[in-house]
Amino acid sequence: MTVKTLEVIRKRLDERPDELRKARANGQKVVGWTGYNVPEEIIHALGFIPIRIAIGGDDRLVEVGGRYASSKNCVFIREIVGAFAENEDPYIQQTDVLAFDATCLQNFRAAEVIEYYFKRDVVVLGVPRNFYWEEGQEYFVNEANEFTRLLEERAGAKLDTVKLAASVALYNDIRKTLKSIYFFQAAKDNVISWEEVFDLIQAGDLLDKKEYLILLQETLIELQELQPDPVIEADGADGRIFISGSLIPRGDRKLIGIINAVGGRIVGDDLWTGILPHLDLDIKEISPAGVALGYLNRTPHAALPYLDLESDRRLKKLHELIDESKAQGVIYHTLRYCDPFTFKAKETKDVLAKSGIPLLEIHTEYAGSDYEAMRTRVEAFVEMIKIKAESAAEVAV
Amino acid sequence: MSIKRNFFAGVDVGSLAAKSVILEDGEIFATGLVPSGVDSVESGLKALNLALETGGLIQEDLTYIVGTGYGRVSAPYANKAVTEITCHAKGANYLHPSVRTIIDMGGQDCKAIRIDQDGAVVDFAMNDKCAAGTGRFLEVMAGVFKVKLEDLGALALSATELVPMSSTCTVFAESETISLVARGEKPANILNGIHHAIANRISGLFARVGIASDVFFSGGVAKNTGMKTAIEEALKVTIVKPEIDPQLIGALGAAVLARSFSKKEGLWA
Repeated sequence: MTVKTLEVIRKRLDERPDELRKARANGQKVVGWTGYNVPEEIIHALGFIPIRIAIGGDDRLVEVGGRYASSKNCVFIREIVGAFAENEDPYIQQTDVLAFDATCLQNFRAAEVIEYYFKRDVVVLGVPRNFYWEEGQEYFVNEANEFTRLLEERAGAKLDTVKLAASVALYNDIRKTLKSIYFFQAAKDNVISWEEVFDLIQAGDLLDKKEYLILLQETLIELQELQPDPVIEADGADGRIFISGSLIPRGDRKLIGIINAVGGRIVGDDLWTGILPHLDLDIKEISPAGVALGYLNRTPHAALPYLDLESDRRLKKLHELIDESKAQGVIYHTLRYCDPFTFKAKETKDVLAKSGIPLLEIHTEYAGSDYEAMRTRVEAFVEMIKIKAESAAEVAV
Repeated sequence: MSIKRNFFAGVDVGSLAAKSVILEDGEIFATGLVPSGVDSVESGLKALNLALETGGLIQEDLTYIVGTGYGRVSAPYANKAVTEITCHAKGANYLHPSVRTIIDMGGQDCKAIRIDQDGAVVDFAMNDKCAAGTGRFLEVMAGVFKVKLEDLGALALSATELVPMSSTCTVFAESETISLVARGEKPANILNGIHHAIANRISGLFARVGIASDVFFSGGVAKNTGMKTAIEEALKVTIVKPEIDPQLIGALGAAVLARSFSKKEGLWA
């Protein structure tokens, strides 16, 4: 069974680079952004075309990036730098302004390197290390106001509250629709896979937002027709995997491909390039400060330190999403030198173990040399959770 | 009227050796062990054929075959493929039901595996992209000292001192070893240091999965008495004495699973 709208979305993605070229020729500006806390609604409301810079999986570009960034920077950042060095990516080519945030300091470093070596126009949004304190929130509001001012300069216009309200409403609708679609992939007898939904989420990084919402709504209608009453339940030993950890951008499908190849079924994620940024974003006030605080009060990125392990919002959300998806095990993906997630692997494993949820850490990079070793680990993990589920089912009988 | 005998085989194709174990019902019937060649299918078949020949059987006598090891992804002779992690767990549990922790050191990787009373894996960790603590590493060291691989452990145990090694990277350890030899250190003492350095590195895997008695040591490196002693000292444990060649444990586990899968599939009652 295929969801027809997905084909339309793939076709629209193929056409998108040309579309951007034409839009720029007509005077529109494209903002390439990356960072967990970049308030995209502000970029959109200022009339820019927002494009998310998130690519991975190309070891050659990592090597190119390593000539400018440190070889100790994570492979994602090195690939981004490499892509700017080559300037062959059709989306990177079309960016007029770049908006990076400092949630992860490696991201901040990429901004510095790209500005210094490739003379690109970069705006950086500072992010506090402690967002629970009033001082942290105040700092971020000031940063968001400054970020808005810098973008206004580049847009040649002031931020209009009515336009910002429209952008917030549009993005809220996108998030709401994505959440509804996401439910279907984890359902029993699912008509859409997690992989398809993951691609669908990432299509939103590139497509026109209004059109994207329409396509999402059409996808949802189609899904509701195909499966009127989806129910999420663990179906015996189907190897239900939840993916957590470092981001998996477009172009990087190594781990996902391995999980599928060894018979695992991905049913959920809390990836920065997955569903997580679209959850729990509550913008209470239509202003740069209101939007910024909405972003800051979501589930925090792993780059921000734990203040209290027991009440950590990221771990709490991880638990909640695992429960919702009825996942039987977590594959925790850490990219080489992605310190925020790599450093926290052990305690994440320990915290989940208390709830009987097994976690496998897969530490990797974009080179293919570790493919077989990864495959063995993932396959053994899938075997482990299937055997556990089978034993539990036998005991229940 | 003759009663049909049921034979189940496990074939474990590793980077350095291919192993096969044939079970007749619940008992080990025959085994085969050959060096791995470049063709993993051929290596697996050689090991299987050796076991068949030893037992006076032909492949058609086998009810079910499970392939494991890195060669499992290309094992057309097998009914099913299972990872070596699951197989080592089953193999160790078959021999010693009290085992809860397995150290598996093979030709190209090293694993820490925790299992339950049924031989099911509850957690595991593997060495990262590095040859430290593997058969390949020890092969390189044997080459440096120009001794047989199987003599390395005994030589290390004959040491009067422990020469500390700062590196477990195969390339750096080789050059460090050459420097130590040039400095006049005795080979046995250097090897003692090498074995302890590897054992300490392996301890890190157990920090991730924990350790519980009884502890079993499997894989080709488990035949190295110096490594066994160094691990016992580093982990402060006593390793269970294996009843069969520890290099055969993965193939044994595969054979145990072959028996179990074929029963589930109704191939015998």
